[in-house]
Amino acid sequence: MSVFHHPSESTLLAYAAGSLNEGLSLVVAVHLGDCPICRESVRLCEAVGGQLLEVSEGADMGQNALSLTLGRLEEPAARPAPQPQPPAQLGFELPHALQGYRLGNWRWLAPGIRLIRILPLRAGRSSLNLLRVSPGVAMPCHGHAGLELSCILTGSYVDEFGHFGPGDLAEMDGDVDHMPVADPRDGCICLIAADGKLQFRSLLPRLLRPVLGF
Amino acid sequence: MAAGDIKPQNLSGEQNNAVLIRRIADNADRVAFASLFQHFAPRVKAYMRRLGANDGLAEDLAQEALLAVWRKASLFDPERAGAATWVFTIARNLRIDTLRRERPTEPLPPEAERQDADASPGAEAELIIAERDRTLRIALQVLPPEQAQLVQLAFYEDKPHREIEVVLGIPLGTVKSRLRMAMQRLRNALDDRS
Repeated sequence: MSVFHHPSESTLLAYAAGSLNEGLSLVVAVHLGDCPICRESVRLCEAVGGQLLEVSEGADMGQNALSLTLGRLEEPAARPAPQPQPPAQLGFELPHALQGYRLGNWRWLAPGIRLIRILPLRAGRSSLNLLRVSPGVAMPCHGHAGLELSCILTGSYVDEFGHFGPGDLAEMDGDVDHMPVADPRDGCICLIAADGKLQFRSLLPRLLRPVLGF
Repeated sequence: MAAGDIKPQNLSGEQNNAVLIRRIADNADRVAFASLFQHFAPRVKAYMRRLGANDGLAEDLAQEALLAVWRKASLFDPERAGAATWVFTIARNLRIDTLRRERPTEPLPPEAERQDADASPGAEAELIIAERDRTLRIALQVLPPEQAQLVQLAFYEDKPHREIEVVLGIPLGTVKSRLRMAMQRLRNALDDRS
Protein backbone atom coordinates (compact mmCIF):
# COMPACT_ATOMS: atom_id res chain seq x y z
CA MET A 1 0.00 0.00 0.00
CA SER A 2 1.34 3.42 -0.90
CA VAL A 3 0.78 6.06 1.71
CA PHE A 4 1.30 9.70 0.81
CA HIS A 5 0.07 11.68 3.80
CA HIS A 6 1.72 11.21 7.19
CA PRO A 7 1.33 12.54 10.74
CA SER A 8 3.72 15.32 11.81
CA GLU A 9 6.95 14.40 13.56
CA SER A 10 5.69 15.91 16.80
CA THR A 11 2.53 13.80 16.65
CA LEU A 12 4.61 10.64 16.16
CA LEU A 13 6.81 11.69 19.08
CA ALA A 14 3.75 12.27 21.30
CA TYR A 15 2.42 8.87 20.22
CA ALA A 16 5.70 7.13 21.11
CA ALA A 17 5.92 9.02 24.40
CA GLY A 18 2.43 7.90 25.35
CA SER A 19 1.06 11.43 25.73
CA LEU A 20 -1.42 11.30 22.86
CA ASN A 21 -4.87 10.35 24.11
CA GLU A 22 -6.53 7.08 23.14
CA GLY A 23 -8.64 8.35 20.23
CA LEU A 24 -5.77 10.18 18.56
CA SER A 25 -3.40 7.27 19.27
CA LEU A 26 -5.74 4.83 17.56
CA VAL A 27 -5.84 6.88 14.37
CA VAL A 28 -2.03 7.03 14.39
CA ALA A 29 -1.87 3.28 15.08
CA VAL A 30 -4.11 2.53 12.10
CA HIS A 31 -1.84 4.64 9.89
CA LEU A 32 1.25 2.88 11.30
CA GLY A 33 -0.28 -0.45 10.32
CA ASP A 34 0.01 0.69 6.70
CA CYS A 35 3.16 2.82 6.87
CA PRO A 36 6.63 1.29 7.39
CA ILE A 37 8.22 4.77 7.18
CA CYS A 38 6.30 6.07 10.20
CA ARG A 39 6.81 2.76 12.04
CA GLU A 40 10.53 3.39 11.69
CA SER A 41 10.10 6.95 13.03
CA VAL A 42 8.15 5.67 16.02
CA ARG A 43 10.90 3.12 16.69
CA LEU A 44 13.43 5.96 16.73
CA CYS A 45 11.23 7.96 19.12
CA GLU A 46 10.90 4.91 21.39
CA ALA A 47 14.67 4.50 21.35
CA VAL A 48 14.90 8.15 22.45
CA GLY A 49 12.53 7.29 25.31
CA GLY A 50 14.73 4.32 26.15
CA GLN A 51 17.87 6.43 26.30
CA LEU A 52 16.19 9.15 28.39
CA LEU A 53 15.23 6.37 30.81
CA GLU A 54 18.76 4.96 30.71
CA VAL A 55 20.47 8.24 31.60
CA SER A 56 17.85 9.37 34.11
CA GLU A 57 18.47 9.64 37.83
CA GLY A 58 16.65 6.81 39.54
CA ALA A 59 14.37 7.33 42.53
CA ASP A 60 15.10 5.28 45.65
CA MET A 61 13.00 2.15 45.84
CA GLY A 62 11.53 0.95 49.13
CA GLN A 63 13.81 -1.25 51.24
CA ASN A 64 12.09 -4.52 50.47
CA ALA A 65 11.12 -3.73 46.91
CA LEU A 66 13.29 -6.37 45.31
CA SER A 67 12.35 -9.19 47.70
CA LEU A 68 8.66 -8.25 47.45
CA THR A 69 8.87 -8.41 43.68
CA LEU A 70 10.86 -11.64 43.69
CA GLY A 71 8.10 -13.09 45.85
CA ARG A 72 5.53 -12.19 43.22
CA LEU A 73 7.28 -13.63 40.16
CA GLU A 74 5.15 -16.75 40.09
CA GLU A 75 1.86 -14.89 40.44
CA PRO A 76 -0.30 -15.14 37.39
CA ALA A 77 -0.67 -11.86 35.49
CA ALA A 78 -3.34 -9.80 37.24
CA ARG A 79 -5.39 -9.01 34.18
CA PRO A 80 -6.13 -11.50 31.45
CA ALA A 81 -5.83 -10.23 27.91
CA PRO A 82 -9.07 -8.54 26.85
CA GLN A 83 -11.33 -10.75 24.81
CA PRO A 84 -11.63 -9.47 21.27
CA GLN A 85 -15.17 -8.46 20.46
CA PRO A 86 -16.86 -10.19 17.55
CA PRO A 87 -16.60 -7.72 14.69
CA ALA A 88 -19.77 -5.89 13.74
CA GLN A 89 -21.09 -6.14 10.21
CA LEU A 90 -18.89 -3.49 8.72
CA GLY A 91 -18.26 -4.57 5.18
CA PHE A 92 -14.47 -4.15 5.47
CA GLU A 93 -11.59 -5.57 7.43
CA LEU A 94 -11.07 -3.91 10.77
CA PRO A 95 -7.45 -2.74 11.32
CA HIS A 96 -5.54 -4.58 14.04
CA ALA A 97 -5.45 -1.53 16.32
CA LEU A 98 -9.27 -1.43 16.47
CA GLN A 99 -9.77 -5.10 17.18
CA GLY A 100 -10.95 -5.56 20.72
CA TYR A 101 -13.18 -2.48 20.59
CA ARG A 102 -16.89 -2.98 20.76
CA LEU A 103 -18.40 -1.45 17.65
CA GLY A 104 -22.07 -0.82 17.13
CA ASN A 105 -23.87 -0.58 13.84
CA TRP A 106 -23.81 2.25 11.33
CA ARG A 107 -26.10 5.08 12.35
CA TRP A 108 -27.60 7.64 10.01
CA LEU A 109 -26.08 11.06 10.54
CA ALA A 110 -26.94 13.15 7.51
CA PRO A 111 -27.82 12.40 3.90
CA GLY A 112 -25.03 10.19 2.57
CA ILE A 113 -23.17 10.08 5.90
CA ARG A 114 -23.26 7.31 8.49
CA LEU A 115 -21.21 6.83 11.59
CA ILE A 116 -20.18 4.41 14.29
CA ARG A 117 -19.22 6.08 17.53
CA ILE A 118 -16.29 4.36 19.22
CA LEU A 119 -15.23 6.81 21.93
CA PRO A 120 -17.22 9.84 23.09
CA LEU A 121 -15.66 13.28 23.52
CA ARG A 122 -14.83 13.87 27.17
CA ALA A 123 -12.60 16.24 29.10
CA GLY A 124 -9.03 15.59 28.10
CA ARG A 125 -10.05 12.84 25.66
CA SER A 126 -10.80 12.79 21.98
CA SER A 127 -13.91 11.57 20.30
CA LEU A 128 -13.33 8.67 17.92
CA ASN A 129 -15.75 7.84 15.15
CA LEU A 130 -15.88 5.77 12.03
CA LEU A 131 -17.48 7.77 9.25
CA ARG A 132 -18.86 6.34 6.04
CA VAL A 133 -19.46 8.89 3.32
CA SER A 134 -21.34 7.93 0.16
CA PRO A 135 -19.80 8.52 -3.27
CA GLY A 136 -19.58 12.20 -4.17
CA VAL A 137 -20.95 13.44 -0.87
CA ALA A 138 -19.25 16.46 0.73
CA MET A 139 -18.69 16.77 4.45
CA PRO A 140 -19.77 20.19 5.66
CA CYS A 141 -16.97 22.77 5.66
CA HIS A 142 -15.49 22.85 9.13
CA GLY A 143 -12.58 24.08 11.22
CA HIS A 144 -11.12 22.61 14.38
CA ALA A 145 -10.93 23.75 17.96
CA GLY A 146 -8.10 21.31 18.65
CA LEU A 147 -6.34 18.56 16.79
CA GLU A 148 -8.19 16.33 14.33
CA LEU A 149 -6.57 13.23 12.92
CA SER A 150 -8.27 11.09 10.31
CA CYS A 151 -7.09 8.00 8.51
CA ILE A 152 -8.74 6.49 5.45
CA LEU A 153 -9.71 2.83 5.73
CA THR A 154 -11.36 2.34 2.32
CA GLY A 155 -12.11 4.55 -0.66
CA SER A 156 -10.77 8.08 -0.80
CA TYR A 157 -11.62 11.75 -0.55
CA VAL A 158 -10.34 15.02 -1.92
CA ASP A 159 -10.09 18.30 -0.05
CA GLU A 160 -8.14 21.54 -0.20
CA PHE A 161 -4.99 19.62 0.78
CA GLY A 162 -5.05 16.88 -1.82
CA HIS A 163 -6.21 13.35 -2.46
CA PHE A 164 -6.37 10.96 0.49
CA GLY A 165 -6.52 7.19 -0.06
CA PRO A 166 -6.30 4.11 2.18
CA GLY A 167 -3.70 4.50 4.94
CA ASP A 168 -3.31 8.24 4.39
CA LEU A 169 -3.49 10.31 7.54
CA ALA A 170 -4.73 13.89 7.59
CA GLU A 171 -3.61 16.06 10.50
CA MET A 172 -5.72 19.18 10.97
CA ASP A 173 -4.93 21.74 13.54
CA GLY A 174 -6.49 24.87 14.94
CA ASP A 175 -7.81 27.31 12.42
CA VAL A 176 -7.54 25.15 9.31
CA ASP A 177 -10.82 24.79 7.39
CA HIS A 178 -11.50 21.97 4.98
CA MET A 179 -14.38 20.39 3.09
CA PRO A 180 -13.63 16.78 2.14
CA VAL A 181 -15.57 15.29 -0.80
CA ALA A 182 -15.78 11.50 -0.97
CA ASP A 183 -14.64 9.68 -4.09
CA PRO A 184 -17.43 9.76 -6.74
CA ARG A 185 -17.18 6.01 -7.31
CA ASP A 186 -16.11 4.37 -4.03
CA GLY A 187 -17.08 6.88 -1.37
CA CYS A 188 -14.94 6.62 1.71
CA ILE A 189 -14.73 5.15 5.18
CA CYS A 190 -12.43 6.92 7.61
CA LEU A 191 -11.53 6.87 11.26
CA ILE A 192 -11.62 10.32 12.83
CA ALA A 193 -10.45 11.51 16.22
CA ALA A 194 -10.92 15.09 17.31
CA ASP A 195 -9.90 16.58 20.63
CA GLY A 196 -12.18 19.57 20.39
CA LYS A 197 -15.50 20.41 18.87
CA LEU A 198 -15.57 20.79 15.12
CA GLN A 199 -16.50 24.31 14.15
CA PHE A 200 -18.99 24.24 11.34
CA ARG A 201 -19.41 27.24 9.10
CA SER A 202 -23.13 26.89 8.45
CA LEU A 203 -26.18 26.46 10.63
CA LEU A 204 -27.43 23.02 9.61
CA PRO A 205 -24.32 21.05 10.61
CA ARG A 206 -24.26 22.92 13.90
CA LEU A 207 -27.58 21.28 14.62
CA LEU A 208 -25.97 17.90 13.94
CA ARG A 209 -23.25 18.44 16.50
CA PRO A 210 -25.05 16.78 19.38
CA VAL A 211 -25.54 13.72 17.19
CA LEU A 212 -21.92 13.71 16.07
CA GLY A 213 -20.70 14.03 19.60
CA PHE A 214 -17.76 16.10 18.45
CA MET B 1 21.13 1.84 44.63
CA ALA B 2 23.50 4.29 42.99
CA ALA B 3 21.49 6.31 40.53
CA GLY B 4 24.14 7.75 38.28
CA ASP B 5 26.06 4.58 37.64
CA ILE B 6 25.76 4.41 33.86
CA LYS B 7 28.95 4.60 31.90
CA PRO B 8 28.49 6.45 28.61
CA GLN B 9 31.45 4.67 27.06
CA ASN B 10 30.34 1.28 28.23
CA LEU B 11 28.83 -0.41 25.21
CA SER B 12 28.37 -3.64 27.02
CA GLY B 13 25.97 -2.17 29.60
CA GLU B 14 23.07 -2.15 27.17
CA GLN B 15 24.09 -5.44 25.64
CA ASN B 16 24.48 -6.92 29.06
CA ASN B 17 20.93 -5.96 29.99
CA ALA B 18 19.71 -7.57 26.78
CA VAL B 19 21.54 -10.76 27.76
CA LEU B 20 19.93 -10.65 31.21
CA ILE B 21 16.46 -10.41 29.66
CA ARG B 22 17.19 -13.42 27.50
CA ARG B 23 18.41 -15.35 30.52
CA ILE B 24 15.01 -14.74 32.10
CA ALA B 25 13.28 -15.90 28.93
CA ASP B 26 15.43 -19.03 28.58
CA ASN B 27 16.05 -20.09 32.18
CA ALA B 28 13.69 -18.11 34.40
CA ASP B 29 16.91 -16.75 35.90
CA ARG B 30 16.13 -14.92 39.15
CA VAL B 31 19.66 -13.59 39.56
CA ALA B 32 19.42 -11.96 36.14
CA PHE B 33 16.07 -10.52 37.21
CA ALA B 34 17.50 -9.07 40.42
CA SER B 35 20.22 -7.36 38.43
CA LEU B 36 17.73 -5.86 35.95
CA PHE B 37 15.55 -4.77 38.85
CA GLN B 38 18.41 -2.86 40.48
CA HIS B 39 19.09 -1.08 37.22
CA PHE B 40 15.62 -0.31 35.90
CA ALA B 41 13.17 -0.19 38.84
CA PRO B 42 14.54 3.12 40.26
CA ARG B 43 14.51 4.66 36.78
CA VAL B 44 10.94 3.55 36.08
CA LYS B 45 9.91 4.88 39.48
CA ALA B 46 11.46 8.27 38.70
CA TYR B 47 9.70 8.25 35.31
CA MET B 48 6.31 7.62 36.94
CA ARG B 49 6.93 10.30 39.56
CA ARG B 50 7.73 12.87 36.92
CA LEU B 51 4.47 11.96 35.20
CA GLY B 52 2.50 12.76 38.34
CA ALA B 53 2.36 9.52 40.33
CA ASN B 54 2.89 9.92 44.09
CA ASP B 55 5.71 8.00 45.76
CA GLY B 56 3.63 4.95 46.69
CA LEU B 57 2.01 4.59 43.29
CA ALA B 58 5.30 5.14 41.47
CA GLU B 59 6.89 2.44 43.61
CA ASP B 60 4.04 0.03 42.79
CA LEU B 61 4.24 0.82 39.09
CA ALA B 62 8.00 0.29 39.04
CA GLN B 63 7.48 -3.15 40.59
CA GLU B 64 4.68 -3.90 38.12
CA ALA B 65 6.88 -2.84 35.21
CA LEU B 66 9.65 -5.20 36.31
CA LEU B 67 7.13 -8.01 36.84
CA ALA B 68 6.06 -7.41 33.24
CA VAL B 69 9.72 -7.67 32.20
CA TRP B 70 9.80 -11.09 33.86
CA ARG B 71 6.54 -12.24 32.29
CA LYS B 72 7.15 -10.87 28.81
CA ALA B 73 10.85 -11.66 28.55
CA SER B 74 10.23 -14.20 25.78
CA LEU B 75 8.69 -11.42 23.67
CA PHE B 76 11.84 -9.29 23.90
CA ASP B 77 13.45 -9.14 20.48
CA PRO B 78 17.02 -7.88 20.84
CA GLU B 79 17.28 -7.44 17.09
CA ARG B 80 14.51 -4.89 17.15
CA ALA B 81 15.20 -2.74 20.18
CA GLY B 82 17.68 -2.39 23.02
CA ALA B 83 16.86 -3.35 26.60
CA ALA B 84 16.24 0.24 27.76
CA THR B 85 13.89 0.89 24.83
CA TRP B 86 11.93 -2.26 25.56
CA VAL B 87 11.62 -1.44 29.26
CA PHE B 88 10.60 2.10 28.30
CA THR B 89 7.73 0.80 26.14
CA ILE B 90 6.57 -1.43 28.99
CA ALA B 91 6.66 1.49 31.43
CA ARG B 92 4.93 3.75 28.91
CA ASN B 93 2.09 1.27 28.35
CA LEU B 94 1.70 0.79 32.08
CA ARG B 95 1.50 4.54 32.45
CA ILE B 96 -1.18 4.83 29.73
CA ASP B 97 -3.10 1.99 31.32
CA THR B 98 -2.81 3.14 34.93
CA LEU B 99 -2.17 6.88 35.03
CA ARG B 100 -4.25 7.80 31.99
CA ARG B 101 -6.76 4.97 32.40
CA GLU B 102 -6.75 4.38 28.67
CA ARG B 103 -5.80 1.46 26.52
CA PRO B 104 -2.36 1.40 24.84
CA THR B 105 -2.56 0.86 21.09
CA GLU B 106 -0.92 -1.79 18.95
CA PRO B 107 -0.59 -0.97 15.25
CA LEU B 108 0.30 -4.52 14.23
CA PRO B 109 0.14 -8.01 15.67
CA PRO B 110 3.52 -8.98 17.23
CA GLU B 111 4.47 -11.37 14.39
CA ALA B 112 4.10 -8.61 11.80
CA GLU B 113 6.14 -6.22 13.96
CA ARG B 114 9.12 -8.52 13.80
CA GLN B 115 9.23 -8.46 10.03
CA ASP B 116 10.25 -4.81 10.16
CA ALA B 117 13.40 -5.56 12.12
CA ASP B 118 16.81 -5.76 10.49
CA ALA B 119 17.54 -9.11 8.97
CA SER B 120 21.05 -9.20 10.48
CA PRO B 121 21.81 -12.39 12.36
CA GLY B 122 21.47 -12.53 16.17
CA ALA B 123 24.56 -11.32 17.97
CA GLU B 124 25.54 -8.95 15.19
CA ALA B 125 22.13 -7.26 15.19
CA GLU B 126 22.33 -6.94 18.97
CA LEU B 127 25.64 -5.17 18.66
CA ILE B 128 24.22 -2.88 15.98
CA ILE B 129 21.31 -1.95 18.24
CA ALA B 130 23.65 -1.31 21.17
CA GLU B 131 25.83 0.93 19.01
CA ARG B 132 22.82 2.79 17.67
CA ASP B 133 21.62 3.40 21.21
CA ARG B 134 25.01 4.70 22.25
CA THR B 135 25.12 7.07 19.28
CA LEU B 136 21.62 8.21 20.09
CA ARG B 137 22.54 8.83 23.73
CA ILE B 138 25.45 11.03 22.70
CA ALA B 139 23.37 12.83 20.05
CA LEU B 140 20.73 13.58 22.70
CA GLN B 141 23.39 15.09 24.95
CA VAL B 142 24.53 17.52 22.27
CA LEU B 143 21.10 18.69 21.08
CA PRO B 144 20.70 22.48 21.30
CA PRO B 145 19.13 23.21 24.73
CA GLU B 146 15.85 24.56 23.34
CA GLN B 147 15.37 21.33 21.36
CA ALA B 148 16.51 19.05 24.19
CA GLN B 149 14.03 20.73 26.55
CA LEU B 150 11.10 19.99 24.23
CA VAL B 151 12.16 16.38 23.71
CA GLN B 152 12.32 15.95 27.49
CA LEU B 153 8.90 17.54 27.91
CA ALA B 154 7.45 15.27 25.25
CA PHE B 155 8.38 12.27 27.38
CA TYR B 156 7.96 13.64 30.89
CA GLU B 157 4.87 15.79 30.69
CA ASP B 158 1.52 14.17 30.25
CA LYS B 159 0.72 16.77 27.67
CA PRO B 160 0.58 16.83 23.93
CA HIS B 161 2.72 19.52 22.34
CA ARG B 162 -0.18 21.94 21.94
CA GLU B 163 -0.31 22.31 25.70
CA ILE B 164 3.44 22.78 25.87
CA GLU B 165 2.70 25.93 23.91
CA VAL B 166 0.76 27.20 26.92
CA VAL B 167 3.28 26.06 29.53
CA LEU B 168 6.39 27.49 27.89
CA GLY B 169 4.76 30.34 26.00
CA ILE B 170 6.33 29.12 22.77
CA PRO B 171 4.01 29.23 19.73
CA LEU B 172 2.75 25.82 18.60
CA GLY B 173 4.40 26.19 15.20
CA THR B 174 7.76 26.74 16.90
CA VAL B 175 7.26 23.74 19.19
CA LYS B 176 6.54 21.54 16.20
CA SER B 177 9.43 22.82 14.10
CA ARG B 178 11.92 22.51 16.98
CA LEU B 179 10.84 18.92 17.56
CA ARG B 180 11.16 18.23 13.85
CA MET B 181 14.68 19.67 13.84
CA ALA B 182 15.60 17.64 16.90
CA MET B 183 14.45 14.39 15.31
CA GLN B 184 16.30 15.28 12.12
CA ARG B 185 19.51 15.83 14.08
CA LEU B 186 19.13 12.46 15.77
CA ARG B 187 18.49 10.78 12.42
CA ASN B 188 21.54 12.47 10.91
CA ALA B 189 23.70 11.30 13.80
CA LEU B 190 22.56 7.70 13.22
CA ASP B 191 23.05 7.97 9.46
CA ASP B 192 26.56 9.42 9.84
CA ARG B 193 27.52 6.46 11.96
CA SER B 194 26.94 3.93 9.20
